[in-house]
Amino acid sequence: MAFRRIDIDQYDEDIYTEEEILADAESGRSIDEINSVVDARATDVRNLLTRGNNSDALTKSLEDPPYGRNLESAKAKNIKTVVDVLNQFRANDIPTAIKGLNLDQQDVLMKYLYAALSKPEQFNSGMILNWHEKLTEVAGPGSIVRVMTDKRTVF
Amino acid sequence: MSNTLRPYLTAVRSTLTAAMCVENFSSQVVERHNKPEIEAGTSKEVIMNPLMISRNENEQVLIETSVNSVRISIKIKQADDLETILCHKFSRFMMMRADNFVILRRKPVDGYDISFLITNTHTEQMYKHKLVDFIVHFMEAVDREISEMKLSVNKRARTVAESYLGQFM
Amino acid sequence: MSSPDVHELTLSPITAHSFNGDRTKLAVCPNDTNVHIYNTSSNNWSIEATLKDHDKVVTGIDFAPNSNRIVTCSQDRNAYVWTQENGVWKPALVLLRINRAATYVRWSPNEDKFAVASGARAISVCYFDEDNDWWGSKHIKKPIRSTVLSVDWHPNNVLLASGSADMKARVFSAFIKGVDKKPAPTVWGDKLPFNTLCGEFQSNRGGWVHSVAFSPSGDVLAFAGHDSSINIAYPSADGNPTVVTVVTPSLPYLSLIWANDRQIVAAGHDCAPVLFETSDNQDWHLTGSLDENKKKTSISTSVLSRFKTMDSRGSSDNDTDLNTIHQNTILQVRPYSGSPDQVAQFSTAGVDGKIVIWDFDPSRVAKDLSSLRV
Repeated sequence: MAFRRIDIDQYDEDIYTEEEILADAESGRSIDEINSVVDARATDVRNLLTRGNNSDALTKSLEDPPYGRNLESAKAKNIKTVVDVLNQFRANDIPTAIKGLNLDQQDVLMKYLYAALSKPEQFNSGMILNWHEKLTEVAGPGSIVRVMTDKRTVF
Repeated sequence: MSNTLRPYLTAVRSTLTAAMCVENFSSQVVERHNKPEIEAGTSKEVIMNPLMISRNENEQVLIETSVNSVRISIKIKQADDLETILCHKFSRFMMMRADNFVILRRKPVDGYDISFLITNTHTEQMYKHKLVDFIVHFMEAVDREISEMKLSVNKRARTVAESYLGQFM
Repeated sequence: MSSPDVHELTLSPITAHSFNGDRTKLAVCPNDTNVHIYNTSSNNWSIEATLKDHDKVVTGIDFAPNSNRIVTCSQDRNAYVWTQENGVWKPALVLLRINRAATYVRWSPNEDKFAVASGARAISVCYFDEDNDWWGSKHIKKPIRSTVLSVDWHPNNVLLASGSADMKARVFSAFIKGVDKKPAPTVWGDKLPFNTLCGEFQSNRGGWVHSVAFSPSGDVLAFAGHDSSINIAYPSADGNPTVVTVVTPSLPYLSLIWANDRQIVAAGHDCAPVLFETSDNQDWHLTGSLDENKKKTSISTSVLSRFKTMDSRGSSDNDTDLNTIHQNTILQVRPYSGSPDQVAQFSTAGVDGKIVIWDFDPSRVAKDLSSLRV
């Protein structure tokens, strides 16, 4: 009866495996390169924040997200950078900040919001949910669909 | 804490509206079969990224979508042991009657208390926005139900204790 | 007829619909194994025939306008070609040779071939085999990796575009020796034996390609993806195509058609057709919804009746209906009248069982899409 336990689908060469789908979405840079880019960006953003330049810090942190496989630490660090920036905004400033972003940046921000929401023990969900509400008003459910379909994830 | 309830439910509502875009999709793996792909899980390209929305560590919603089905798993707030037992009994009561419930799943996903499975047949028969309304309303109502049940359990316990111990005084 | 012309045919979804050449007949599948042929010459549409040969849901129907034949395909892996003899529709055998469900079917412009998209990760291009009196097929397989969701023919009868669940839109050559004459070279390439891949496009953001359409000239390809975007691909001779992506804030689109060289009508989960246009072929943008959202005025809006319902039912008057004409997802958009270069009317079929014929009037576009959201 051992044949009943064999997963025959793994031998089917035609199926589109998860690995292949993610490989299609790779950016092609090495892990160290991405790590150093993320670290550099974190310092840049911190500088901008200390100078009080919140909106520039936001656009900088959303730039060039680390997509790809095997990049857990880089992704976690980048999420932390983005959430730090989001924390600096007061509730009334959020809509103006969102209007200052273009469509691509809004999509990337939505991805980061969901990444932060999936780790409630690290990040303050209340503030993130506030951002989510304001961003959905501008970008619509289409941006949420794009977070779900885009295989280039930030978490 | 209740000032996070409204944005939490709004976020869940908009995510559900985005997730419930399902259509009829015949299985690629078995001929002449039509299965909910999120449950079958064999074709990875038709399953989308799962999204989690959390209000705090104890209350979360996990939404997993695929081309023809959506699975929504809810973790209900359980502050103490009594609430845990009540929540377990309450969800078990409903899950045993899952057939009549139509969109309920018989077993919750690991780590969650209750799960819904909505397929393209459900969205064909029912309005999508009303399904979303129902799930959000359910999330609000279940918290209220459990606190009401806890109050009534405590009340009954107090009455029983009073009448029993009263005979020794 | 007043616009838009709404016909509620069934309570179940209409999975496929097709009008005949002079729009006097309509073939639909009401989400079961039958195909109903309606007589649409008067304002009261009535069923005049039912085609019963399929075993499972019929997923695609196409009426050939000139030769008056219907091709239907279904999830039972079969397709039939129906011809009308003495008023009775007779099926002809089609050898699709696929081992999974068929999802979509279209006649070629000359109506001597048709293409069937299937879950077997292949497209079956079928042609009539005179010697055996059946429809034989040839398969386009590589490099398709998942279910093919839709196909569209190029006006030259040889090139075929496909959109599939592996998130790519592709253009193939479906040249069948003996049926086709050698086509003139196009922007997609020349010297094209069967199964040549002439172009492969994808949207960066993933998302299954629900619908593909060639422009009226055939030089541009538009496809709608599940990532709520419309992509328009311009092939170029040096092999570097440009793909313009229009990202929308609304729910994904399931079907699209070209109204003319500069305008595209798309419809999907938002339950209303929307218009995309460009002025210079570089900058495509979403103009607005073609459904003007006339919110149905309820029969009695007096304050007294509102309080009465609050008293008797315990809740205020809930408006469960959507603002749009279609109450559920629109599954298909097809041109109804006008030439391929300028569509005058188009028809939509939805999950709510309605067929609606719209006038294509770009001047009556509701720019405010937020009213589409519930």
